[in-house]
Amino acid sequence: MLKLFEHEHLDVKRLSDEETAIEVRNLSLQFSDKPVLNDISMRIPKHRITALIGQSGCGKSTLISCFNRMNDLISGCRYQGEIILGGRDINHKKENVSRLRTQVGMVFQRPNPFPLSIYENVCYGLRLQGVNGRRQLDDTVEQALVDAALWDEVKDRLFESAQVLSGGQQQRLVIARALALKPDILLLDEPTSALDPLTTLYIEELMAGLKKRCSIIIVTHNMQQAARVSDYTAFLHQGRLIEYSDSDSLFTMPHKKQTEDYITGRYG
Amino acid sequence: MRQVALNTHISGKFNTELENLRNSVLTMGGEVEQQLIDTLKAIRTNNAGLAEKVVLNDLKINSMEIQIDEECLRIIAKRHPTASDLRMIMTISKAITDIERMGDEIERIARLVTKNKLPASKSIQSSMLLIGERVVAMMRGTFDALARQDEQSALQVYEQDNRIDREYKRLLTYTTEEMERSSEGMQDWLEILWALRSLERIGDRCKNLCEYVVSLTRGQDVRHMPLENMQQKIENLS
Repeated sequence: MLKLFEHEHLDVKRLSDEETAIEVRNLSLQFSDKPVLNDISMRIPKHRITALIGQSGCGKSTLISCFNRMNDLISGCRYQGEIILGGRDINHKKENVSRLRTQVGMVFQRPNPFPLSIYENVCYGLRLQGVNGRRQLDDTVEQALVDAALWDEVKDRLFESAQVLSGGQQQRLVIARALALKPDILLLDEPTSALDPLTTLYIEELMAGLKKRCSIIIVTHNMQQAARVSDYTAFLHQGRLIEYSDSDSLFTMPHKKQTEDYITGRYG
Repeated sequence: MRQVALNTHISGKFNTELENLRNSVLTMGGEVEQQLIDTLKAIRTNNAGLAEKVVLNDLKINSMEIQIDEECLRIIAKRHPTASDLRMIMTISKAITDIERMGDEIERIARLVTKNKLPASKSIQSSMLLIGERVVAMMRGTFDALARQDEQSALQVYEQDNRIDREYKRLLTYTTEEMERSSEGMQDWLEILWALRSLERIGDRCKNLCEYVVSLTRGQDVRHMPLENMQQKIENLS
């Protein structure tokens, strides 16, 4: 029979190791005595956009912060379970966290450029790694800014302060700063919630292009954004993973009533 | 003519999705048009094999309707379309129901040939073929107006249905008189009547599509009103 539309729907429960960017195994996490994540297991696909949705406090930001060990900075944080990235458990005490954070970049809700020039912002991570060759820095800065769809807007003022850029440009600069380190995974924690609707659409389009280079995990309160931009979506509620599937299925025919109630704005 | 621009969204994927959706409904329309052309050929040449192919091919059209409907649902759920995008998707969602029903009507006509129930009278057969040719032309004009999002063309096509209706009524009177004259072969006459009715119904479905084109391009609902009122309503918008 003639097939009119092609949509890829990987079964996220049966991803092979080659298809998996990050595997979470029975992850539980507490802040002091307060449980935040409860026995989460999931495989996040490579080179796709995966959205984490759920009410405030459901644990979605905490979960992505586990992927580059940002929670280590919070006192009283304890966790059990494994997070497998590139065949190793990143929760292992011998994990090189600096290296992990170059491999797993992160962009936050509010753009946070350093009080430096545009150029220095992008090559900041490289300099920390000891890269100082002018040519290599120039090439990397240009490529990262091109990938972040910012090059054309800033190429003539690379040495001006990043603070003069608009909010949308600053957020793309921060994305470029993460991309300069060629991460395997990019974590975006509500990256557009401080931006206007049009700039939001530009950032979303940027994400769609970036997934060729890395796997993207986005936390968003905006369900419409999750539906628009993501290939796969996970719904969390009170620290538990309620439903996780391809976004087409989740937003048209969710399997769990809790998911249906959440995405349709009902109280469960 | 106010076309809905499909390729100007910031999201390139949304552009592609809408373009694919539009192309798919035109593909479906083209398939149904070809089905009617094949059916008329089968009648003309009394080719049961070709008519059988038409009957089988209707399954393909049914499948297309389901696929396009699912795609509309998926796009609405994921993209939350508004304004002209929303009208485009709703137009397509309604149009495919009419196109699928056209396919069903054509299948019924094709069964005249597979069941060897073609009218014995050559004059009725040629009148039936004549209406059929007019319906093909109307379908072609309708899908063309839909493809070009051209409400003026849609209105011109809309008018063509009057002629089809007149010829249908003339044939209806003739066949009813034949049936009254002799009760022999009543079942065969009924089959012919149903086939004629199907041709006339395809014309009505084309009219529905033309109304959707106006709704798509001008955002005005012109269903259930005479052609003159439709034209007036559009002129008032200009």
